[in-house]
Amino acid sequence: MKWWLTNANDVTGKISGNTSMEEVIQQSVMLTSVESLLAWGRKNSLWPFHFGLSCCFVEMATAMTPKYDMARFGAEVIRGTPREADVMIIAGTVFIKMAPVIQRLYEQMMEPRWVISMGSCANSGGMYDIYSVVQGVDKFLPVDVYVPGCPPRPDAFMSGLVMLRDSVGKEKRPLSWVIGEQGVIRPEKISMKDTLREKRQQMTKFKTPDEI
Amino acid sequence: MPERIAAELSSRFGDITFEPQVTRDGTPTFWTPQEHIVAVLQFLKSEIQMPYRMLYDLTAIDERAYKRQQNGHKPYDFTVVYTLFSFDRNEFLRIKAGLHGEYPTLESITPIWTAANWYEREVYDMFGIRFNGHPLLKRILMPSTWEGHPLRKEHPARATEMGPFKLYDEKQDREQEALRFKPEEWGLKSHSEDADFMFLNIGPQHPGTHGVLRIILQLNGEDIVDAVPDIGFHHRGAEKMGERQSWHTYIPYTDRIDYLGGVNNNLAYLLSVEQLGGIDVPLRAQVIRIMLCELFRIASHLVWYGTFAQDLGQLSPVFYMFTDRERVFEIIEAICGGRMHPNWFRIGGVAQDLPNGWEPLVKNFISYFPKQLKEYDSMVMKNYLFKARTKGIGIYTLEEAIEWGVTGPGLRACGLEWDMRKKRPYSGYENFAFEIPVAHNGDCYDRAVVRVEEMRQSLRIIEQCVAYMPSGDYKSHHPLATPPVKARTMQDIETLIHHFLNVSWGPVIPAGEAAVCTEATKGWNSYYLISDGNTASYRTRVRTPSFPHMQMIPLISRGYTVADLLSILGGMDYVLADIDR
Repeated sequence: MKWWLTNANDVTGKISGNTSMEEVIQQSVMLTSVESLLAWGRKNSLWPFHFGLSCCFVEMATAMTPKYDMARFGAEVIRGTPREADVMIIAGTVFIKMAPVIQRLYEQMMEPRWVISMGSCANSGGMYDIYSVVQGVDKFLPVDVYVPGCPPRPDAFMSGLVMLRDSVGKEKRPLSWVIGEQGVIRPEKISMKDTLREKRQQMTKFKTPDEI
Repeated sequence: MPERIAAELSSRFGDITFEPQVTRDGTPTFWTPQEHIVAVLQFLKSEIQMPYRMLYDLTAIDERAYKRQQNGHKPYDFTVVYTLFSFDRNEFLRIKAGLHGEYPTLESITPIWTAANWYEREVYDMFGIRFNGHPLLKRILMPSTWEGHPLRKEHPARATEMGPFKLYDEKQDREQEALRFKPEEWGLKSHSEDADFMFLNIGPQHPGTHGVLRIILQLNGEDIVDAVPDIGFHHRGAEKMGERQSWHTYIPYTDRIDYLGGVNNNLAYLLSVEQLGGIDVPLRAQVIRIMLCELFRIASHLVWYGTFAQDLGQLSPVFYMFTDRERVFEIIEAICGGRMHPNWFRIGGVAQDLPNGWEPLVKNFISYFPKQLKEYDSMVMKNYLFKARTKGIGIYTLEEAIEWGVTGPGLRACGLEWDMRKKRPYSGYENFAFEIPVAHNGDCYDRAVVRVEEMRQSLRIIEQCVAYMPSGDYKSHHPLATPPVKARTMQDIETLIHHFLNVSWGPVIPAGEAAVCTEATKGWNSYYLISDGNTASYRTRVRTPSFPHMQMIPLISRGYTVADLLSILGGMDYVLADIDR
């Protein structure tokens, strides 16, 4: 599909292209498969579960407020019940006393469902290697995206959410239990450490502590 | 005055020997034979002139590993510590009872202070010490299926020492079954003479509880007959953590206690450490500390303000208030680099001097914020529905507040003008001009009035900090200040050794004990630290304000409706990590 945008500041209103029949059709007709259309829909309307454990939850809530505005990614409809939600954000420390409750809440979510592990505690126990804390939520739940930080900034959380969106958009799920192959094909998980390595190594100039 | 209270005690109990103990914080401390504890506490609460009416804290210490002779006290196995506060004297008092045996028992003091209920349950849960005559001695923080008592020295500290965590189906079922609420276990009746009660389980996962808190309501129709708060879902073992982190590396853990209060936690902890070490903090560091503490007080109150309004059905205020909170965080980020957990204070000062250009940032905020507060007044505080849902709801009297250990804005909403920053100034608060906002009805609305006004006062303090920011050092030159100021290291062998030891093992804080009570965002917060002259604390006790506040829920929600409970919870302003630690 070919299409263009006009710049608001451009007084000439010039558009690239020739507005021919061919081009207009190209702009208004989209060809895709039902499978990809559904994936596109899922990707753009993730409904997070209103679920928080500790400090990270405050940063997650901050991501919904105007400065960050999670609505930009179609994920601002917070649901109070797991039955209506499709992404569970483990925002905070996974306590041993809380683990059976988390497990049950996860089980109540309907497929398709995803899990974001937000913050060091949920990723690995973080700084709490202590008797009452599970050393990472992946000890009992499958995790799709890990967001590092203690707590992660709202920006970091949103970048995790965007990664999940991308992955959801690429997921292949059967359209029905009678049509096509069964089973979910998920894209390979990517390591941001490897992806960003080169870019990070280019960074040599940093602010000194007495600068703002 | 330790002499005065010692004289009063011995004139009443001539035959009992009270062994005084010298503490670093100067709090009068007396060892009392355990069989007399109840009588002595009863006397201190109600019979003495200028009584100690508040049970500030009750905790225990596992003394079995304490190597050092501490002011000549006999080697007990366990010690139970009662900390009382007298408003008339403006003084704390510590009464200690030494106990012998593996799993000792002691008389309960719940007949004297109802507030002792949860504290004694906590001591039982953490140490295995039993209290005779306690109405319901069961675990409070750990799951009921837990084995062992975590704060005993033989209990493993690390999760990685205890084998991998597995949640197989059988265990899942067992744990869920253990969480099932059985009214008879809590001494609640299922029906009255003419009605069957309904039990409504709220939490541990519920949008209205602000975290992993569970409250079970006994309902007659829509009316609350009784409530049972069930806590411990957020227990992160902060006290046990203090026994293995060095004095310096424990600072980040304090950030995460009241996670909205940020550096206020650092301050409460460091004041105690500095008192133990005899470290004086330079004036500039003190003012930097106060400025950041007050900025965090505003940030914390903004979260409370927004979520409270949201709990009562107003959807927009929370968006405005979080935006303003971001403005506070812009300053915090510029100065500390972090947001919620800045980990910015250090033993003897702060981590770094203020960065260039901090002043315009703070000044902008000072000129920007008052008109926002004014707008919020008309948006929230003057809103008809908001008033209808908070006025006359969740009332407690001043007597009840003191009896139950309520501190902070909740206490000031009952008409008592008591702010620790004013009454027992610490960290240089005595140099600042500000008012203590009070209100008189003790309901949810008045608690809100006090907090809103407090933000204005905090702004006033910040304004003075900017106007009079002194020059000088941002960290003490004391050898225990950690890490040492860089310019004063690597000069000669002596400074080299100090630097090396303080950053590798951490500082060795002299033996003794201290606690400094601070006015944190939610009430009185203090770290009761006991050092045996090592690189880590022997026992760290975190006294948090939200714990006793939460204990009060049944008292202040009886007779109201379920919808009112959300006003009461929202008006209380608690943080789960501040309850369970």
